[in-house]
Formats: sequence, structure tokens, C-alpha cells
Amino acid sequence: MAGEAVSASSIQNPSSNPPPVNKKKRSLPGTPDPEAEVIALSPKTLMATNRFVCEICGKGFQRDQNLQLHRRGHNLPWKLRQRTSKEPRKRVYVCPEKTCVHHHPSRALGDLTGIKKHFCRKHGEKKWKCDKCSRCYAVQSDWKAHSKTCGTREYRCDCGTIFARRDSFITHRAFCDALAEETARVAASNGLMRSNVVQNFPFFLKSPVAESEMADEARSGLSLWMGQAPPLETLTKAVDLVLGDVDGDPFASQLSWIYQNKLVPSGSDELISSITLPMSGMKETEDPHSLLLSAPHHYSTRHHHHLVPPAPDTSATALLQRAAQIGVTASGPTSKAKSPDSNIQYLNTNRSYSATHPGNAMENAADPLRMMYSTRHNAAQKDEGPEGETRDFFGVDAPTICASSLSGWIRIRN
Amino acid sequence: MRNTDPCHHHPSICCLLEPKDPREEEKWAAELIQECAKAIADKDSSKIRHLLWVLNELATPYGDCDQKLASYFLQALLGRAAEAGELCYTTLISAAEKQQSFVTARKVMLKFQEVSPWTTFGHVASNGAIMEAMEGESKLHIVDISNTYCTQWPTLLEALASRGSDTPHLRLTVVAMLSMGRSVMDEIGRRMVKFARLMGVPFEFHVVSIVSTLGQLTEEELGLRKDEAVAVNCVGALRRVRVEERDAFMRTLCALRPRVVTVVEEEADFTTSRGDSVACFQQCVRFYSIFLGMLEESFSPTSNEKFLLEKECSRSILGVLACNGGGVCERREKASQWCERLTEAFAPTAFNDDVIGDLEALLERYREGWSLVPAKGNAAGLYLTWKAEPVVWASAWKPIKP
Repeated sequence: MAGEAVSASSIQNPSSNPPPVNKKKRSLPGTPDPEAEVIALSPKTLMATNRFVCEICGKGFQRDQNLQLHRRGHNLPWKLRQRTSKEPRKRVYVCPEKTCVHHHPSRALGDLTGIKKHFCRKHGEKKWKCDKCSRCYAVQSDWKAHSKTCGTREYRCDCGTIFARRDSFITHRAFCDALAEETARVAASNGLMRSNVVQNFPFFLKSPVAESEMADEARSGLSLWMGQAPPLETLTKAVDLVLGDVDGDPFASQLSWIYQNKLVPSGSDELISSITLPMSGMKETEDPHSLLLSAPHHYSTRHHHHLVPPAPDTSATALLQRAAQIGVTASGPTSKAKSPDSNIQYLNTNRSYSATHPGNAMENAADPLRMMYSTRHNAAQKDEGPEGETRDFFGVDAPTICASSLSGWIRIRN
Repeated sequence: MRNTDPCHHHPSICCLLEPKDPREEEKWAAELIQECAKAIADKDSSKIRHLLWVLNELATPYGDCDQKLASYFLQALLGRAAEAGELCYTTLISAAEKQQSFVTARKVMLKFQEVSPWTTFGHVASNGAIMEAMEGESKLHIVDISNTYCTQWPTLLEALASRGSDTPHLRLTVVAMLSMGRSVMDEIGRRMVKFARLMGVPFEFHVVSIVSTLGQLTEEELGLRKDEAVAVNCVGALRRVRVEERDAFMRTLCALRPRVVTVVEEEADFTTSRGDSVACFQQCVRFYSIFLGMLEESFSPTSNEKFLLEKECSRSILGVLACNGGGVCERREKASQWCERLTEAFAPTAFNDDVIGDLEALLERYREGWSLVPAKGNAAGLYLTWKAEPVVWASAWKPIKP
């Protein structure tokens, strides 16, 4: 493994990708120039950090530019200053690691720095560790880039929840009521819900004129997102939603059948009668296609015209980021997340869990032996009041959720 | 135990309940359930009665993992014994559907994704494969057959929006599965449309309710258009196709001429053993005890979301063990088995380095115990492992014929 092990060959390019004409232009990833010389450097060379060595004083540099700058300092006569052009032919580099995808010439990388980074990242030892999140990197520049942003960026949703990770923020934001209410409020305040809007358009699929207004709102939407207090009716609506899902529990009654009926399966009718189906009045619609499809072409083409791609610094994602970053100074009490690993602070749910939980289920669960012998006792309890134990699970939580979350919202907004 | 207990008359059960070394005592449910399954297969009615009695004594859905297992399997065993499995299952499903609201579905999914990479693993892998396959396309159509309520798509929308070159037009057709209520899907659609607008991605959303079974899905129902690039996303979908319809389903997918088909499934085999109830029980017990254990360690003990997921678990167990056809199917297969089916019409395509990097970064965010393992041998794709057990499998496929 001495110095550079070079194996040169031309690439057999089986795919029909045309080679890039202008060599200066960055080619598409995965399409190495078929005329290029294929170089396979040794692992030692790839991992070395100071590859460029000054022939005069022997000092090593990571980059060729740095070496050139240094050489100038030696006051060489002009002739010797010129670098001997040693690379008439374009070079591409393969990974020496046989099992690697980039080992094959058709997947060679065109850039020396690229192959070095690839080798270190994939096959090298991860020497650089982030103190904050203990993520390890093999390439120092990757580590530096990561450390700059690690932990510093927080994404704050309008609803008050803070996220350490972008993707969980994005997923949350897409379904968050704050988004739904915000756009509804904007729509209402802009008078978009006019009666002259075409009847068969659902309210959220606006007419093209309205579309551009919405787009403008989105682009200049920072002011809308910046922690305005939602009107009281949206708060109460949200509370209703939370309360709404704590109805009767068919599963519990299903279980009570098992406990009550002494294991004698006496036919299917008993099964049906003991399962309570909460009435909700929802019907299956006949039409398998959603209403949202009422005018897809119309929507899509017009949308395309009106929603001009914004300049890079005002793209939707940039706006989201800015909104998130500006709102970072966390106001109000935020209780620590339940699990130490998660940076997410769920203001609402944490408050509900801080309430003491019903002793019964918890204590028993902690001690399996005791649970086994006391199951009879619990079963008896269940016989007396099938709702008893269930209510402990849901009933206690429900008032806690709405009361505390309500106060949580109010506190944050102020 | 008291002398009046019937178990005293049955020596084999007696020794199961003898106080043992505490570590051994932990896994009592699996043993009991297995014994019971054997007894049912042997048609030993007195033993069946005794074992069911014991299980009933010890089972509770509010207890520890063993007690939960006992409870769910008891329900399945009873359903099977009474031959009321299908009825019970469909009743439970429709009850769950009526009970469900957008808010609860969202809460459960998002909380689950916060504490465990069980679903996000498949999402990140699939989105990565889709982005790569759709590079350069301007009109995308994703056919989404999944059980994760569209939580996969916001990050894809964001990726499309920040793709650099012009943002493509995305059409999303969701094939709604049995337990996904219409009102919930409609609300999800509304949110997706709003979010896409926020992201600046031209977007269309469309829900298709399956008329018959998933295996009989037709191209017409999906409403494909000529000029679009199609991707099919199957997350927890293939197992819902009835076993005898699976090969035909692969052909249907191929006929859509997709650029890529992403498949995410849970790693368990409930199919090979479907003729042999004891083996099937064993596979089920094994898989669900891993799953319940994972839930236990990921959520806080009194989490409502965990409870709802466990309920879903119990329904699945009932579906697998007590239902033999009809509209119900949740028969999982292992990666190697799916690969065998898929290679008839598709060739596997590897996930690129960036996707692998994203997956590794994803797993870093969660508690210890999770890791990424590439599939070997007969299988392509990647596994998500929990405590060294492969639990979720993700893969991407391209049609063989252009």
C-alpha cells in the first residue's frame, strides 16, 4: 500500500446517458464522462488530509489552492511558478472498496474531493463527534457544518409546539389545526367566502382570482403567523374536538363480555348485543370520488399560472423557516418532555400527564404477581360497574386535557 | 392457588403456574397461548376449557405485555372456537371507524411517529426512492395504498417544493383501506390541499374507496392519465391483499407502468402457516410480543395513543387467527416471500446513499434499540430492527418490462 496505486482504464458506459459536452459544467450525478481516465486511489491516499505538498519546504496542505498561495511566498522565478500541467485528460475516481457501489467505473465520481469525502464517510472511521447530539462524522467539514446547526434551530408551530427536527415539524404543521384555522380566517377576512363563488367548488378550492390572493398571503404571510391570539370561538372549537373523542369505548364492553359470560361462547347474537356502537350519524357516500376532484384541471393549470415561483429568499420553505426561527424565544411555561431523548415539548399532553394517575391500573401493572392474583378482584369490580375501570383511564384524563390545555394556550398567546 | 381451581385437576397446566425463576415467569403468556392452540388442534375440550379459564384469569388489556397478549389472544381463540371471528372482526372494525375522528387518527399517528420509527422508517425510505425515480418529471401521480393516513406526504411535498428546478405537479390518489373512515380521509385531504398550497406545490387529492377487495383493484378506478409519471406506494398494503390474489395484484401494479413501486411491510410470516393453526399462533405470538414490547418501551405507560394502537393490535390478531377469508385479510409475509412474488414483474432498485444517510439520521432521533440492516440473500431492501429483530422491511421496485 505504498503511495498512489493508480489503475487507469476507460469507462464502459452501458447506459445511454449522453456525456456532458462542456467539461466545466457539473455533470448529472451518476453519469461519469465515458472518455475520462479512471483512477483508483488507495485508501491511505484518500484518507490523507494533507495531500498537496510543497516541493520546496515539504509543508502539506489540504487543498491545491492553499498550496499555490503558499508557493508564492517562496518567491520562485516566473517559469517555475507555473504548475506543470499534468492533467490533460479528465479524471474520474472510483472507490477502492470492492463492496462499494462506487467501485465500478460506471459509478465513478468526477471530483477528487468528492471521492475522498465519500471514502471517509462510508468506509472511514467516524472520528468527529457532535457533543450535543452524539452524532459521529468521518469528515471534519461535515462535523463542523452539523455542529453549527445542531440544537440551534428550533421549529415553532403556531399552535405553540416546538420541534427540534424539521421533518416532524413539517408533518405536524401539515395537519395542525393552526394551519386550517389560519387559512380559514384569512379566507374569511379577505372576503373570499363570497356567495358568488361557484357552488360546486368546495370552499377550500377557490376560484382562480382568489387563488392569487391566497398566494400573496402565503408569500407575505409572516405577519399572519406571528402568534396572533386565535379568537375565542376557535379555542372552544378545539376544546370540543378534544373532548369529542372520549366517548364510550366499545372495546371495554367487548371485554366485559369475556368476563361476564364465563367463557361460554353462546353464539354470535350475544356478541353483537354487548358491543355498543356509538351513533355518529355518518354515512358512507355512494360516490367513491372525493368532492375535492370537482375541477382538478381547472385548479391545477390556473394555480400554476398564478402561483409564480417565488424568489429563493421568499420561497415557502424559507418563510416557514423564518417564521420558526423568529418565534424561537419560547414564551410561557413549557414543561420538560416526558422522554429525555425527545426534544419535543408537548405543552398540552404533558400537563395532562402530570396529574396523578389512577392507582389501580398502574400499581397493579408494576407488580405482575400481584396483578395475577388480584385480577379476580378487578374482574369482580368490572362486573359491578363495567364503566368503572375504563373511566379511570379516560375519564380522569379528559377534564385535565381540556382545562389545562386551554390555560396553556392562553398563557402562550400572552 | 386455591384447591377449587380446575387447573389443579390438570397437571400440565399446574406446572405452568408453578412459581418459577422470575425471568422465566415473564413469558408465561406465549406458553399458555401455544398450549391452548395445541389443545384446540387436538380437540381436547377439557384442556381447552381449562386453559381458556386460566388465560381469562390472567388476561387484561390494561396490564403488562404478557397480560395484554393473553387478552388479545384469548379474544382470538374464543372467536375461533365460536367460529364468530369474521363477524367479530367486522363489528370491531366498523365500531372503530365510527369512533374514529380525524383528531384521534392524527393524534395516534403523530404520537407514534414521535416515539418510534416504526412507520417513519418506511416513509423516509419510500420518499427517497420516489424522489430519485421522479427526478426530472414534471407531472407526478402517486397511488398511495397505505395505513398511515397520509403522514408520509408532507415531507415529500416539502422535498418537491425545494427541489431547486421547477416544482412538479403532484396528484395523490389514496386508496382507502377498510378501517379508514370517509370523513377522516376527507379531512385529511383538505389539510393536504392546504399544505400543498402553502408549500407552493400544484396539487390534487383524490380518495378511492375499494369496491370489493384490494386484490381486485383496477386501473380504471385509479383514473390514470397519459402524460404523468406514476409511483405506487404500498405501506402495510400487500398484506391486506388476499393470499390467492397476490400474484394477480403484482401484475395489476405492473400494468400501471409505474416508475417505481415502494413496498413497506412488517416482517412476519402468517401466510405459510395458515393451514397449520399451531404454527400460525406461534408466529403471531412472536411478532406481537415484539410489537407490544416495543410499544411499551416507546410510549409513556398511560398513553392513550398506545392504548389505541394496542386495540388495533388486538383486532389484527383476531383478523389473522380467527378469520378465514371473507373481506378480512392481514396475513403478513416475510421479505423473502414478498420478493419472490415481486420479482415476477419487478426488479429491486437500491436506495441511494442519501436515503441511507437520512435513515440513519432518523434512527438517531429515537431511543436506543433501533438499527438499519440491509437485506441479504433472497431479499432486497432494508430492515428496521428492534433489539436485533427485523421488524419492518422497506424496498423499492422497478418494472422489468419498460
